[in-house]
Amino acid sequence: MLSRLIRQFLFIIVHLIVNILVAVQNVYHRFWVKKRKVFSDEVTKSDIMIIMEHAPKMKNRLKHLVFLADTNHHSISDLARVVIWSLISGVPYVSFYDITGELKQNEEKLFWAIEKNKKGIPGCIKWSNKPDLNGYTYGMNANKIIINIFNYMNGRPQIVNCIKQIAKGEVLCKKKSTEYTTQEFGEALIQTYSLIPDPDLILYTGPLCCSYGLMPWQIRLTEFIQLSLDHSVNIDSYLGALFKYNKCDQRFGK
Amino acid sequence: MSWVKENCVSFFQLFCIKVVKSGRIPQHIAFIMDGNRRFAKKNSVKTSVGHHKGFDKLSETLKWCLDLGVPEVTVYAFSIENFKRSDEEVSALMDLARDKFKRLLDEIDLINEWGVRLHIAGRLSLLPDDLRSLVSQAMLATKHNNILQLNIAYAYTGRDEISRAASHIIDGVQNNELTADDIDENLVSQTLDLGEAELLVRTSGEVRLSDFMLWQVSRTVLYFSDVLWPEFTIWNLLAAIIHFQRHAPPLLPEIENSRSKQEFLDKLENKRWKNLQSLVSY
Repeated sequence: MLSRLIRQFLFIIVHLIVNILVAVQNVYHRFWVKKRKVFSDEVTKSDIMIIMEHAPKMKNRLKHLVFLADTNHHSISDLARVVIWSLISGVPYVSFYDITGELKQNEEKLFWAIEKNKKGIPGCIKWSNKPDLNGYTYGMNANKIIINIFNYMNGRPQIVNCIKQIAKGEVLCKKKSTEYTTQEFGEALIQTYSLIPDPDLILYTGPLCCSYGLMPWQIRLTEFIQLSLDHSVNIDSYLGALFKYNKCDQRFGK
Repeated sequence: MSWVKENCVSFFQLFCIKVVKSGRIPQHIAFIMDGNRRFAKKNSVKTSVGHHKGFDKLSETLKWCLDLGVPEVTVYAFSIENFKRSDEEVSALMDLARDKFKRLLDEIDLINEWGVRLHIAGRLSLLPDDLRSLVSQAMLATKHNNILQLNIAYAYTGRDEISRAASHIIDGVQNNELTADDIDENLVSQTLDLGEAELLVRTSGEVRLSDFMLWQVSRTVLYFSDVLWPEFTIWNLLAAIIHFQRHAPPLLPEIENSRSKQEFLDKLENKRWKNLQSLVSY
């Protein structure tokens, strides 16, 4: 009985110490970041310069970036900046995973925030679920970016739906042996998704790394990279994450 | 080395395990045991030595999990993609598995004493006949143990697992055991080889799932550690569990199956066991 009480006491102490260490780290980080520079809510000229300087150094070209968007921690302008930075970096697909379900409701706000930030920046932004509103580009070689917002329904429920459709005979899926191979089932499944590449990189903020049910079929080789511990979204951590992604070495089982 | 390493926990370590155990313990931990080859390279030894060291670490980890009271552990031992490695390495890995499963069958009384139930998850048809027979025997021999379930993902990928589950469900509908409307997330989850993990630990600094438990990780705490798998220690495991205790999402209530779904799942389970019995003698 006594030893159990001692163990519980020590357990509380261990967690208290970890909490204090994390708090100290957060305070230090905030103080350090704030002291160095104040990050703007909008994409600044220096953001553009710094990306233009560093993006060409990255050999591993990123095709599809997914940002785990938690509306409790990220503002619409945080998300808009990620789009513009990615446009300048030359990432062709940027998606947001709507963890709380509030981003889809605020899609229009995000649209306007992106438009506001884009002013004067060459490139074309396309929303996958909207007709081309701003298909204009400045110059032939301008970057193009396609934006998607995904939520839980695009994950497991969509796979379930596909199995249902095959079972009902609405989707054809043939198998050569008794069980489907990945290729056979995969061909039927990807018909239910729009044609976009599998995510290469998932950016998340905060201490918890979790997929939250983001499209299970598509994330098999996706790298999970933490943008910041305190949920902040700034140009330094964005470029840092891109550099970290560049160092990742995919071996494809070999 | 044996499957569960004895005497690998000091008194102080056991005390720390007991302290951490006062809080919430993950009911299912998954490990991506990465870094065996890098460990071999770092120490200038053969790749196969690295893999052997990796297995030794698994047996230590099992002991820690038994002491912590973790009821289910899943490890990613061999991916379908790993068949692309050199013939020499693949055959060395198959030999290692043969050796370890033979060993397990030799020391079956000890395994039963520990209460370890073995489950091999993956496309068994891709394995050589003799190895398939050995793993089937191992599963049948430990079928009634219930202290720790050890799932070994072998010739496994998450996409393959989902594809096979889809086949079984569609067969169920075609055989009138289920209706198409019975198909839901919960049914798919229960048709898969592996259950949902609460904590997933990947070693060696890689930060991806590599086609492991894709369906099952939607609420899992993913913990990436820089240490190479053969160098993984009890302290790394305890750190992962403390991280889990700080951030784990709350448990979801279990959903009860309808009668038709339960009957389908029971039939599928029976079919699996019969299939294993037929694989024993090849």
